[in-house]
Amino acid sequence: MANRPSKARYTKTHEWVLVEGDQATLGITDFAVEHLGDLVFVSLPDVGRLLKAGEVAAEVESVKAVGEVYAPITGTVAAVNTGLAADQGPLAKDPFGQGWLFKLKVKAGAGADLMDLAAYEKQLASEGK
Amino acid sequence: MRNTPLTEAHVAAGARMVDFHGWNMPVQYAGILEETRRVRSQVGLFDLCHMGRLEIRGKDREALVERVFSSNLGKLKHGRAKYGFLLDERGYPIDDVLAYRGVDIVHIVINAGGRDADGPWVEARAAQEGFEADVKDVSDEQAMIALQGRNSEMTLQPLCSVDLSSVKYYGFANGLVLGIPCLLARTGYTGEDGFELFFAKGHARRVWDALLDSGKQLGAAPIGLGARDLLRLEAGMPLYGSEISRAIHPLEADLEFGLDLDKTGTLGIPALRAAKVKGFPRRAVSLAAKGGPVARSGTELWQAGRTVGVVTSGGVSPTIDRNIARALVEASTAAPGTTLEAEVRGKRYPFQVVPSPFYKRLR
Repeated sequence: MANRPSKARYTKTHEWVLVEGDQATLGITDFAVEHLGDLVFVSLPDVGRLLKAGEVAAEVESVKAVGEVYAPITGTVAAVNTGLAADQGPLAKDPFGQGWLFKLKVKAGAGADLMDLAAYEKQLASEGK
Repeated sequence: MRNTPLTEAHVAAGARMVDFHGWNMPVQYAGILEETRRVRSQVGLFDLCHMGRLEIRGKDREALVERVFSSNLGKLKHGRAKYGFLLDERGYPIDDVLAYRGVDIVHIVINAGGRDADGPWVEARAAQEGFEADVKDVSDEQAMIALQGRNSEMTLQPLCSVDLSSVKYYGFANGLVLGIPCLLARTGYTGEDGFELFFAKGHARRVWDALLDSGKQLGAAPIGLGARDLLRLEAGMPLYGSEISRAIHPLEADLEFGLDLDKTGTLGIPALRAAKVKGFPRRAVSLAAKGGPVARSGTELWQAGRTVGVVTSGGVSPTIDRNIARALVEASTAAPGTTLEAEVRGKRYPFQVVPSPFYKRLR
């Protein structure tokens, strides 16, 4: 099992978000990466775009499928992990670190209503994963 | 969903299973790219029990096959196989098949999706036109396993009574595998050397396990449908329902090698002969791009602000390290070197028309 950060929050659709002050870093979990398989393409949002919670923010494509990444919280895109367009290796190997997808400027305290690590792992277990 | 005699083996090996034309089949084991590389460099095993198999016997068996099969069976030596189509009167394929010419039998291997239609189609021609031939669907009695990749011969030889070096590419022989009567054909659908084995279904698991064991030091591993699709796409081989169908004929699909346009008396051939003279507005092409999204089946292709075609199959080729696709486009945009834009989820990405096939093995 990957080293899932305990400070991050998680979604049912396998995104993670780490909020520090007014900045949030987002990505997809090791489970999502594993489920997609061999990664071939990542499409990230434009910097400056306002993303509303629930909107499709990014796409992660594998040999066999396309995974849509939803913004779990509302915010303005502050940075994207541009290197992933050419090389998806960091996302495959280190989805919670080098494989982050994008950063949002958010309201302080955003994401508090999302699942914590224990709840996410309980969900995975209940789905037999 | 129906199971093959090997479904249990796939599940036990941890394969991801999918519904393929009503069959519970493995889509991948270790991963589509890894499995594709394995077949290109070593050897892989394929469960093809879901495919259909017809055996045609009787006095008029070859006349019947010549009537329904687009290639020329009579030009084949006994013990050789040929790719072709079952065509409707308009020249559109009902299926693409391999026909194996035996001394007193013709074997036809058909797609899983053609099992319900192909046998009755051939039988109906036999009945209506008075051919003395017995068309037997042996799909449910026989197992079919393919070994593909350069180490196929070394994997199979220790288990088998036939000197495999004497079986030519697209040739076949009858022999024993583990003492089980078997038709061994040097055929396949990956662009690699390899064999397809046909034998009584009850022995499927034993043969499967023995092949995996025999090829252990040679890299043998089971391969799923995902890699199978990629292997055939790299090798420029069509998938029925995608590259060819009741709406796309073999000339448009650039598959004239599966036709004998000089044949007389074959269903659909006169229509294709006429189409060739008249010309046709669409052409199949191969497309490649470095990086970017995959242009999957159904992706629209654009040039100079208008749509000029559609992708019929697309994927990622680990062999040539490109995103690849087959597409059906307006003939004016089919020349190699042409740039077309694939529209993927609202954005357009450049792809180049490249020569076919993407991959050809060195012999």
